[in-house]
Amino acid sequence: MQRILNTLRLTAKELRAIARDVVMLVLIAYVFTVSTYMVADAISTEVDHLAVAVIDEDQSILSARLTDSIQPPLFKSPDMIAADQALQAQKDGKYILVVDFPPDMERDLKAGRSVTINIDVDATAVAHAGNGAAFMSQMLGQEITRYFSPSAVDGSQIDVVFRSFYNPNLTSKWFTSVMQLMNSITILTLILAGASLIREREHGTIEHVLVMPVRPPEIVVSKILANGLVILIAAVFSLIVVVEWLLAVPVSGSVLLFVLGTALYVIALASLGLLLATFTKNMGQYGLLVIPVIVVMILLSGGITPLESMPGFLQVAIRILSPAPHFVAFAQSVLYRGSGIGLVWPEMATMAAMAVFTFSVTLMRFRKVLSG
Amino acid sequence: MAFAAELEGVGHRYGKTVALDGVTLRVPAGCMAGLIGPDGVGKSTLLGLISGVRKVQSGKVVALGADMSDRAARAGMQPRIAYMPQGLGRNLYPTLTVRENLDFFGRLFGQKAGERDQRIHMLLDATGLAPFPDRPAGKLSGGMKQKLSLCCSLIHDPDLLILDEPTTGVDPLSRRQFWDLIDSIRERMPDMSVIVATAYMDEAERFDWLAAMDGGKVIAEGAPKELMERAGARTLDDAFIALLPEAERAEHKPVELRPRVPSADKAPAIEAHNLTMRFGDFTAVDDVSFEIPEGEIFGFLGSNGCGKSTTMKMLTGLLTPTEGTTKLFGEPLGRSDMQARLRIGYMSQSFSLYSELSVRQNLDLHAKLYGVPRADRAGRVAASLTDYELDTVADQMPDDLPLGIRQRLQLAVATIHEPRILILDEPTSGVDPVARDGFWRKLISLSRDKGVTIFISTHFMNEAARCDRISLMHAGKVLAVGTPAELTEKRGAKTLEEAFIAYLEDEIAADPAPEGVLRVEKAPAPSAPRAALTRLWAYATRETMELLRDPIRLFFALLGPVILMITVGFGISFDVNRLSFAVEDQDQTAESRRLAEQFSAIRQFGTQDPLSGTQDMMQRMGRGDLAIALEIPDGFGKALRQGKVPEVSVWLDGSLPFRAETSRAYALGVMNHFADLTAQEQGGAAASQVDIETRFLFNQAFRSANAMVPSVIMLILFLIPAIMAAIGVVREVETGTIANFRSTPVTRLEFLLGKQLPYLVISVVNFVVLFVLGLLIFQVPFTGSFWTLAGLSVIYVAATTGFGLLISTFTKTQVAAVFATAVLSILPTVNFSGLIVPVSSLQPASRMIGFGFPGSWYQQVTQGTFVKGFGWSDLGLNALVLTGFALAYLALAVLALRKQEA
Repeated sequence: MQRILNTLRLTAKELRAIARDVVMLVLIAYVFTVSTYMVADAISTEVDHLAVAVIDEDQSILSARLTDSIQPPLFKSPDMIAADQALQAQKDGKYILVVDFPPDMERDLKAGRSVTINIDVDATAVAHAGNGAAFMSQMLGQEITRYFSPSAVDGSQIDVVFRSFYNPNLTSKWFTSVMQLMNSITILTLILAGASLIREREHGTIEHVLVMPVRPPEIVVSKILANGLVILIAAVFSLIVVVEWLLAVPVSGSVLLFVLGTALYVIALASLGLLLATFTKNMGQYGLLVIPVIVVMILLSGGITPLESMPGFLQVAIRILSPAPHFVAFAQSVLYRGSGIGLVWPEMATMAAMAVFTFSVTLMRFRKVLSG
Repeated sequence: MAFAAELEGVGHRYGKTVALDGVTLRVPAGCMAGLIGPDGVGKSTLLGLISGVRKVQSGKVVALGADMSDRAARAGMQPRIAYMPQGLGRNLYPTLTVRENLDFFGRLFGQKAGERDQRIHMLLDATGLAPFPDRPAGKLSGGMKQKLSLCCSLIHDPDLLILDEPTTGVDPLSRRQFWDLIDSIRERMPDMSVIVATAYMDEAERFDWLAAMDGGKVIAEGAPKELMERAGARTLDDAFIALLPEAERAEHKPVELRPRVPSADKAPAIEAHNLTMRFGDFTAVDDVSFEIPEGEIFGFLGSNGCGKSTTMKMLTGLLTPTEGTTKLFGEPLGRSDMQARLRIGYMSQSFSLYSELSVRQNLDLHAKLYGVPRADRAGRVAASLTDYELDTVADQMPDDLPLGIRQRLQLAVATIHEPRILILDEPTSGVDPVARDGFWRKLISLSRDKGVTIFISTHFMNEAARCDRISLMHAGKVLAVGTPAELTEKRGAKTLEEAFIAYLEDEIAADPAPEGVLRVEKAPAPSAPRAALTRLWAYATRETMELLRDPIRLFFALLGPVILMITVGFGISFDVNRLSFAVEDQDQTAESRRLAEQFSAIRQFGTQDPLSGTQDMMQRMGRGDLAIALEIPDGFGKALRQGKVPEVSVWLDGSLPFRAETSRAYALGVMNHFADLTAQEQGGAAASQVDIETRFLFNQAFRSANAMVPSVIMLILFLIPAIMAAIGVVREVETGTIANFRSTPVTRLEFLLGKQLPYLVISVVNFVVLFVLGLLIFQVPFTGSFWTLAGLSVIYVAATTGFGLLISTFTKTQVAAVFATAVLSILPTVNFSGLIVPVSSLQPASRMIGFGFPGSWYQQVTQGTFVKGFGWSDLGLNALVLTGFALAYLALAVLALRKQEA
């Protein structure tokens, strides 16, 4: 009982410390509101308004019709350029796709000769180029078929109906907003938790606590609770106000379940932050250690590119070392697919196991490091 | 010139607190002038103003004839003034050796190598530090640190030496040696003026002139004898108290030492047997034993670093001794002995309470943590506030209080649970005499009235004399134990101080008497640009050495980028492979099987078990096991054979839009191919004559690595340099070494450039390593001009380190600096600089943010030179903009950095 009370008292103390740190509070607020909104609104990996140019060397009715068919929302209305400008324009990053209709295209086709239409793709824009080119060639093909045999309904031999579950229009904002939320949680929790320990060490207050009838677990738990609580509240606020309301992303699952899973993730992260802090002596070292950890956790969480695209060894390693991919899988499942606890419990169990493991190692190192 | 410093109507305030209140004072030149008075009366502020470290707020301050409010005059005067701030070795760099510290200071004054060597040699000889030129400053004892600090101040032959409490927290022997050193230096530099602030009245008696201060005002000035005569007192201590205003004097009562009544045949409160503590090879405490009966005040004396604090930590259970045992009241002390902790109150050497809690909240929290019953708690806190005279400051924050009151608060906290044993580690260090006496009255009352055993370490001999017994410690060993009278008698000394010094001198070889000339012929002043370069170089080499001696930081600085590059470079991939795919074939004809086979044939789809129905598909997609599903309805084959247009459905998991879209593109491709095959069999169609050929420019293989690696270089060379530089300035502010920047002729630009240079070099090394990794490990073709990339990379890291420095000049703590750098740099570089999404496809607002950071400009450079064959001619604008960023960050940092404290 005394232990629980002590933990709560120390937690209250930690919360006071956070409340007094204005810089921290401003940055937390910024990350969970402005930056979440901006990133979600700006970043899209879907093919959307790609910049296209057309080189029309044919100048026929067909080429004009094909040019007209390149339209929003997939593509921007194309610019007409000359053949010799094309490469430079693409070097400058002006166009992702340049479509080249060869001379005498219509005449050759009518005469039954085969014709090659080139699509030059700026392949440095990997996220858009491949799909953009595929859609472009599909569309041009259909358009040509329709031109020569107007009788066919849409020119193709099979009618393919695409249906997307959970995100019918494949709006990437839905995806990015929640992933940005995860990024914010990751950055802030790791830094806050680690800093709370390093600050106490630098001020000598941790020594003071250790001579009191307080056990290390109580100190560690209080730090996890206090920092976790702040982040959790900020995250839920961000989900409801920024994601659901401002960005108008429909959340299909249970918010309560999401909060529960986020709590597990935050606990695992805070323990990790404290563990990393025991390996460093000051903020300079901690900063250099935590930045790579944060960046790797964010970029390789499956929240930016799919996990299955990574090399096998990296997939295994990141799944064992980082709670982030499990949280991403969990969040997608709950928020988009509306999954219940029956489907997502394995992810939650993994995060919990990671939290317990990291917490135990932190405790083991705690006394040794701090008294030394 | 008759005066070292002249002040007229000088006022100074920190927020609402008045530190100086209309001070008018003339400090005579060519002598030892002292400032005396309790803590928080404005001594340090006054010295800060005279030395030019603090900004004059109101009134006029003239030092050596120069008006310190005038920037040019101040800059001209700084080479003639030396300032040694308060705190043991606070202006030293702990990881640098004695010689390197001195060398650094020599460079700050633009001295050439030959002159520096000569001066360092001479100063080390004169101060007895000559045997340890290669010892890191952090490993020196307190007395030696102060000597080194003094050497650093004297390296440029100042005309005015300003010392702020130079002997606070230093043992008596070292103190005596320090003042002897000052005397001998003054003998040989007779025209040097010295101004000293001190809390030791016995020291002040040897000064030529004194100013006594109280409440931000000077209450008396003159020679020590004059002051004593005026007050009619025999000692300066008494004279000071007599000079205080009536109201304050009333508070002071002399300390009355009552004899202790020993309690018979009880177990001793503390028993230590053969305590030994080793840290690696270093033996901090060597076989120490003692017994302290209940209710005794046991004093612990010894030089700094002799093992006192370590012994105390072992008694509290903070440290587990390597050998030996401790018993409290006859019971052995266990490792996590909660019962024992309830009986101990501990006060560590430095202030260690929570600065984020008010005085009352601190007391309340400790009462709770020590399990004081709820019913008693409020009463106990109230009683403590009254007992320790903290009522008036109960709701203030500890940081706003003077040291004396803070120490009272620490004692109040240490006794809130009514412990039977108090362990106090130098509780009165830096506290003025009046406050110290008040503190001791409390201790005596605790010991005599409540029978509390007190174990206390101190450097003050008058405090040691009040202890029932004392123990002298040196180099981890106890030299002598006994009552103060016994020890004095044993050595045949007149005072305890003499006895103490005699004991120590047996152990330490006496300092060689300083000899030789102390004046080195002043070399002709180097030309201004040369001196500026020397100063810049001083900071650059020092920062480099500090980095080299911090293996953890060095390790992450060099290997962090490599680890990041390898994991992110491999991990971030838009190459979609083996999308989990399943088919529900309701038709089961040759045609439907052929369509399904087309899907299985390409590597982008990894075929899973067939679906049994919609329910099955929903479940598997819900679990995330399936990315794409194909449903071929009954009658598909028949319709196809009849030339009708059959319908198939493709289901996608839309929760990852990028993956879904890619799946759709591939599925479309497969369908087209299938349609073409069918059409050919049925007799040709127009579309098959058109060959739409997609050519991938700049990245023929369409590999993610070719696109990602250049962007990842951009990301890493932003984050790592920024975070390295981000603690550069703020760390000096936190440790106090920023005083060296403020008190020496170094300019803001020299200081910042000096700090930036080492990180710039490391970042360039990082760039080369990343470039090679990109070529060799990731096999990215390099088609452009290497020297263009290299040149622009140097400019880019100049900008990113500058960004870190800028944040460092704005923030107040290292925590805030790291936090702000991480938050402000990760988001725009990851999201708005072309790493994932090309800048051309961003929303206008985000694109502006992207172009508001150097990252997106540099990303065009890396990408252009790697895969687009760019050279200088393609990147002129980028070079211009990046240079602009580098200069702007530096300029803003110079503006934000203040040469003087408020």
